Amino acid sequence: MNGLGSLALYLVVVVAIVGFIMVLTHLLGERHSQRGTAVPYESGIFPTGSARIRFPSDFYLVAMFFVVFDVAAVYLFAWAVAARELGWAGYAAILVFSLETIAGLAYLWKMGAFDWGARRKREHLERHGY
Amino acid sequence: MNPVLFAIALVFGILFFAAFVIWIERRFLALVQERYGPNRVGPLGLVQVIADIIKILTKENWIPPFADKGVFVIAPMIIMVTVLASFAVIPLGPGIVASDLDVGLLFFLAMSSLAVYSVALAGWASNSKFALLGGIRAVGQMVSYEVFMGISLLGVVLQTGSFSLVAIIEAQRRLWFCVPQFVGFVVFFIAGLAETRRIPFDLPEAESELVAGYHTEYSGFKFAMFYLGEYVGITLISSMIVVLFFGGWLGPWLPPFLWFVVKTLFFVVVFVLIRGSLPRPRYDQLIGFGWKLMFPLALANLVATGGIVLALAR
Amino acid sequence: MNVSFIVAGVVAILATVMVIVQRNAVHALLYLIVSLFALAVTMFLLGAPFVAALEVIVYAGAIMVLFVFVVMMTGAESSRVEPRAWIGPSILGIVLLAELSWVLLFAPAAAGRVVGQVKGVSSKELGIALLGPYLVGVEIAAFLLLAGLVGAYHLGRRHSPPSLPKEGA
Repeated sequence: MNGLGSLALYLVVVVAIVGFIMVLTHLLGERHSQRGTAVPYESGIFPTGSARIRFPSDFYLVAMFFVVFDVAAVYLFAWAVAARELGWAGYAAILVFSLETIAGLAYLWKMGAFDWGARRKREHLERHGY
Repeated sequence: MNPVLFAIALVFGILFFAAFVIWIERRFLALVQERYGPNRVGPLGLVQVIADIIKILTKENWIPPFADKGVFVIAPMIIMVTVLASFAVIPLGPGIVASDLDVGLLFFLAMSSLAVYSVALAGWASNSKFALLGGIRAVGQMVSYEVFMGISLLGVVLQTGSFSLVAIIEAQRRLWFCVPQFVGFVVFFIAGLAETRRIPFDLPEAESELVAGYHTEYSGFKFAMFYLGEYVGITLISSMIVVLFFGGWLGPWLPPFLWFVVKTLFFVVVFVLIRGSLPRPRYDQLIGFGWKLMFPLALANLVATGGIVLALAR
Repeated sequence: MNVSFIVAGVVAILATVMVIVQRNAVHALLYLIVSLFALAVTMFLLGAPFVAALEVIVYAGAIMVLFVFVVMMTGAESSRVEPRAWIGPSILGIVLLAELSWVLLFAPAAAGRVVGQVKGVSSKELGIALLGPYLVGVEIAAFLLLAGLVGAYHLGRRHSPPSLPKEGA
């Protein structure tokens, strides 16, 4: 439990300093309001429609893969710190684990989850033929 | 030394160092591009950044009426707090550390995984199309590169047998980890570039397509938080590289703290020179590069390191 | 030590209540992140720094990022839930609360531990235990993750590239 007290203290100091700067700039700053002040910046053109755009699901997939592989990495963390004590038995176990992780990655790779540009091109080709 | 005073001194020291990094970047980029860069305020333009900060403090603390106000204000503070907080576990010299945690390395990874919220929330809260596009790009990129950032460091953990950064430095007395863990170092460096959203990974704020990306609607000191946060982030990644792969404060002749600063400055300059020389890839290239090359490489490095360490231990 | 434990616990409970009452999905998620943070602090105080760090890395730093990301991507931050939809979850929640109270009140052996007297577990000990006696669990987790990966891909992908219907075919 050593270090938690000093860590908490340091975090409090960091938050206090950042908050203090924000309050300071709020007090020191000017105030103004003109014709274009309340318009979102879109390179000088008036915005049309809502700013809530929908995105292709590839982004969602990348975030999903990240969550899965991050959890897999956690087991690797637990192994790495105790690798010497666990010896070859632990190594064999983590080798199997890594191979399964790699298998997942290889599957996604083969299905084309990571080549966005190429897949778009292929889909376009198959649909339109040019 | 009083821990409160030490914490305050550390935070302001880091902020001043980051300001100095801004000066380095502007001067070096100017050198690369055959310009002068800032050279009017103070000797060699050294206090230019201080002048800029004083100026920006008096700028309007504007919150767009169309934005989600609370989240809009919190977002820039998150990046500043997370990068500054990471310094709590970084040993600047023997005994000069805010908190030598048993899980110091994990604390660094936890903080860098929280930094994603800053750009995500900034993009969302701005309620502006460019900001949202930049925010989505930033999150997609940062999460892709975060996975193997952690794994690339496990070779070091494996050789040390601890997550404590002080223990990791002490383990490098005989040989810096950049030699046995060269692959890990390269992968971590690239992941670090992506985490700080520097060229060639600056697609979230690609000015030719997205204006300023997720901080399009930010101005005044809230913008400065993002800006300064980027340079504190560069300092953080450079110090982590030094701690994990280049022996931290270890070195002959000079005092340990000075060694740490010199090594960190070296990597800061490398960061700047990379910005001056590399182009920006397409987004699909960036995603493919991360998942298809870097991730398997980091995993292979870990498995190979494990085998070699165990074989040598017998 | 007990004071910080109580503070972390109260923050966790309050933040979780805020998650339920918030209308805006992103605000609710922010409170959930705070709640997970408070849980991480609790774990740290209970002598499990490794688990505390993982709580932040996995829950706050990965899963919640995914949630925020999805809300950003779909732009669906404020959908109203009919009050009737709360009945099922509330009953289940009350059942859990009752069970927890029963454990705390009538099974003091399980709940009698006092914070600060608990022996800390270092990350090394945890690694040895996880890949020693609990090895089967780790390997099953690997299978589960693999299944999750494949499932996520097939649920989330846009088209099936090889069997795309051709125009006019």
